[in-house]
Amino acid sequence: MSAGPGLRLVPAADGPGDIDGLLIRVARGDRTAFEELYDALSSAVYGLSRRVVRDPARAEDVTQEVFLEVWRKASRFDAARGKAKTWVMTIAHRRAVDPVRRAEAQRRQDHHGAPDEVSFDEPADHLIRTEEHGAVRDCLDSLTDLQLESVRLAYFNGYTYGEVATLLDKPLPTIKTRMRDGLIRLRDCLEGAR
Amino acid sequence: MSTDVHTLSGAYALDALDPREARDFEQHLAECAVCRAEVAELQEAASLMGAAEAAPPSSALRDRLLEAVDRTPQVPPLSAPPAAVGADAPATTVSLDAARRARRPRVRLFAAAAAVAVAAVGGIVVTDAMRTDQPTLAAGVTQVFRAADAQEATVATANGGRVSVAMSAGEGRMAVDTSRLPALGSRQVYQLWTLTDAGPVSAAVLEDAATGAAMDLPAAGTRIAITIEPVGGSEQPTTQPIVVVDPADV
Repeated sequence: MSAGPGLRLVPAADGPGDIDGLLIRVARGDRTAFEELYDALSSAVYGLSRRVVRDPARAEDVTQEVFLEVWRKASRFDAARGKAKTWVMTIAHRRAVDPVRRAEAQRRQDHHGAPDEVSFDEPADHLIRTEEHGAVRDCLDSLTDLQLESVRLAYFNGYTYGEVATLLDKPLPTIKTRMRDGLIRLRDCLEGAR
Repeated sequence: MSTDVHTLSGAYALDALDPREARDFEQHLAECAVCRAEVAELQEAASLMGAAEAAPPSSALRDRLLEAVDRTPQVPPLSAPPAAVGADAPATTVSLDAARRARRPRVRLFAAAAAVAVAAVGGIVVTDAMRTDQPTLAAGVTQVFRAADAQEATVATANGGRVSVAMSAGEGRMAVDTSRLPALGSRQVYQLWTLTDAGPVSAAVLEDAATGAAMDLPAAGTRIAITIEPVGGSEQPTTQPIVVVDPADV
């Protein structure tokens, strides 16, 4: 399979295989490999963090936490369970969402309410505007509106699927299913673009 | 497993399950290879969506991070064979293993039965705060161990691991380094308790033993115990402690 330019999502990285190799070296305490790994993935990690937590300074804190965790736990990466880059981005997403979710829980405790006036259509505009990577953009376009909103609200706003169901006024099983089939469609589309 | 559970893979890949559902789903994952494969693919799709947001951080962050890395130990791989937990190794036979640490630490170990008896007294509160604050705790742990006035001790645990405890009067903090405890399966976690006359209180559920935990210096007479609990932690200890430490003896 030939990698189209649209799939070069992280310009500094030569490909997933290289990231895997770097992470394995990091697990052995190879600091140079760690620097290379950072250079390859820091933009992706920081960009995602900033998108979720919004504040650049906090996003940098999250990014630092993510890479420290990658350094500490590199030995726990299991190539049989996914790609190294996915492993790092999954850590990044959890780290980014965590404070947002905690703040929201606190806010809700203070105000006894569901999430308020969230502009859940704003991220869509933002994504379309700043999205420079053709493949992901095109593939997101192939999702139904409900799939797209469900996936995006969860991933970028840090909402649980229950919260998404409340926001979109849909039954829980529907949202659960849309998240799954939305991601499946995204996966299949990105595979096809490869 | 039911179709219903299976359909949670999308929400799980988006980190959109609440903590309890996520733990339940992870238990399901442990038994379902097909689900693991699907989750891996959906996580990859999600991460590509995230990576499409790429934006470069400041170069100052790189410097800060590399400096922090130089101070950060790495955790061993899970495949490192944990020492066997045999019938001949209950908590009561735990021996001191402080020789490798300076300052002649003495850690008093209590019979597991005694600790469990205390556990039965009641008045138990599970604090989720410790769990959700873990990112800070990790840094907090290091801070206590590196404090100028830190006193520390390392003890062997009943399940063949080691735990280091550090206390700093200056920092007013106590920290537990659990990174050398044997890895547990995906369905169990280590849980840290403070034991007083009022009963055990959960101090931390160690979702990741490598993270350790830090807390304010306990009141005099408080002991620290670690048990193995089902994922998510328990409201009260359900197993015999693998170690009980009396900070007064550190």
